[in-house]
Amino acid sequence: MRAVENYTFSAKAEERFKKLETQFPERESLVLWALHLVQEDAGYIPPSAISYVAERVGVSRSHVQGVISFYAMFHDKPMGKFHLQVCVNASCWLAGSDELEKTIENHLQIRPGETTSDGLFTYNRQGECLASCGTAPVVQINADYHESMTPQKLETLIEQLKRDS
Amino acid sequence: MAAPLEKRIILADYGKPDSHTLSVYEAGGGYTALKKALVSEKDKWTPDGIINEVKASNLRGRGGAGFPTGLKWSFVPRNTGKPTYVVCNADESEPGTFKDRVILEDLPHSIIEGMILAGLALESRQGYIYLRGEFYKGWQRVDAAIQEAYAKGYLGENVLGSGKTFHLATYRGAGAYICGEETALLESLEGRRGHPRLKPPFPAVKGLYGSPTTVNNVETFAAIPHIINNGGEWFKKLGIGNEKSGGTKLFSVSGHVMKPGVYEVPMGISLIDFINETAGGIRPGKELKAVIPGGSSTPVMTRQEVMRAKLDYESMAELGTFLGSGGMIVLDSSTDMVQLTKRLADFYAHESCGQCTPCREGSKWIADIIDRLIDGHAVEDDLKTLLSFTKNMGNGTTICPFADANVMGVVPIVEKFYDEFLHYLEKGKSGEGK
Ligand SMILES: Cc1cc2nc3c(=O)[nH]c(=O)nc-3n(C[C@H](O)[C@H](O)[C@H](O)COP(=O)(O)O)c2cc1C
Ligand code: SF4
Repeated sequence: MRAVENYTFSAKAEERFKKLETQFPERESLVLWALHLVQEDAGYIPPSAISYVAERVGVSRSHVQGVISFYAMFHDKPMGKFHLQVCVNASCWLAGSDELEKTIENHLQIRPGETTSDGLFTYNRQGECLASCGTAPVVQINADYHESMTPQKLETLIEQLKRDS
Repeated sequence: MAAPLEKRIILADYGKPDSHTLSVYEAGGGYTALKKALVSEKDKWTPDGIINEVKASNLRGRGGAGFPTGLKWSFVPRNTGKPTYVVCNADESEPGTFKDRVILEDLPHSIIEGMILAGLALESRQGYIYLRGEFYKGWQRVDAAIQEAYAKGYLGENVLGSGKTFHLATYRGAGAYICGEETALLESLEGRRGHPRLKPPFPAVKGLYGSPTTVNNVETFAAIPHIINNGGEWFKKLGIGNEKSGGTKLFSVSGHVMKPGVYEVPMGISLIDFINETAGGIRPGKELKAVIPGGSSTPVMTRQEVMRAKLDYESMAELGTFLGSGGMIVLDSSTDMVQLTKRLADFYAHESCGQCTPCREGSKWIADIIDRLIDGHAVEDDLKTLLSFTKNMGNGTTICPFADANVMGVVPIVEKFYDEFLHYLEKGKSGEGK
């Protein structure tokens, strides 16, 4: 993970940002992209990245802050290494997402919005449909979808993530 | 493999290994429409030539509203001196809808070819694909496909040596359903919060960066190469219902069917045949109870209504609902309609962007009343109140149609399955629910 004090883009993020700068006629468009790059670097948006993004893009700090607070995927606090999101919208609920919520709460002893004390897992209920209704229920872990999930599969997966880290 | 009643045009390559790559797309006839339009039949495919062919196809916007695509393109002024933009709405977040994800992940070149053709029609030199942030794999696939298309000369300063320019770039949203609404999408693409804009002006005239813009759905663009290849008349006649609903359409079906998934069928086929034959029917021992036909914002249909329905825009409207996005949720006799309503009401309450009071407050009231009902704290008047104030929530009192979508998604469930809501009320009174 990238240092969060005096944040600056990693070399990879810098390279992508330079390309993005050529793709949009107005620099304001770069705000969301820049925040995605920060989050890929640091796992969340550290306070120092707010001024950094504002400066790099050429907008005010409050603009950047407003964007962060509007969009659910931008996190202004550190997250667990693995962010578990259980889709609880209609089709996933029909397919048993309640059981997945219970599995996480029992197995990891955390409630929605909380992170395990070892910093490994953050858990959220995802109210927005993840467009995985045909393979419901789905749990998103970081960028990946885990589809047709069952409590047993989820427990196994959690245990494996623990072992691997 | 096609399922019963399926007619695969857009999905022809779906399921083939590496269907997302350029070589598989080209092997299936990909980019021949573009070559025709720019090289072998370039005199025929003037901007008006393309627009007229799309008009003749009766292709209607696949994002939900069903607006005729050719007509929409004809509203975009050319030669204003400003650039014109082609924007693909890949925000797909309407509950129950998961068809665009298949195209993005498995058939990304069809979107790119469709967008380049749209660019030719509108004399645009720049397109953007706006994907919801959660679609990381979809974004990777689209991004890789764009790079392949640049390398092969389908994109760039001099597309296929024609002297015409078309650039394409991606944008990622970050978790906000409202960014699927086209003006919110444009705000977001300009780097701001996704607050819908007051219309008019419409994006056709004043869209991205204040310039003429078309915003179209993923599936809409994916249909375009087939229309240019085979003709508008051919596409129109793929539909077997009302001729105003041309072509085939992708339906994503979930809930209590044996074979949930994404299927492409001719417009106008019977809904119950689709459920029973294409989607494998209801689970054994259960009966069909209701269907939410086109995403959570389309009014629920009772079993009786489903029996009479055909899958085209006109037939669905006659039954008081919409074809919408084609995101179908099938519900069997085991479904608790009150609990289902809670899932939807919570979703809308969370996703309202908050600009308009009727929407911001109304969506929370709906969710609160349903919560109270489930907790056993509701009173008789609560349900009446819900049915009354929701009449004033949309209907032009708000900036965008989100409030109407909320009302259409929730109120018909309460009305058509009122007994179940009363049952919760009775349970609450007797202290059972508390
Ligand atoms: C609340 C709301 C959410 C929407 N979400 C989407 C979406 O996720 N994808 C989409 O293509 N259209 C969505 N739309 C419709 C768009 O505003 C727009 O009509 C559509 O992208 C136009 O493309 P089309 O003509 O090809 O359908 C939404 C509309 C509203 C009001
Ligand atoms: S209707 Fe709702 S979502 Fe649409 S602009 Fe108003 S508050 Fe925002």
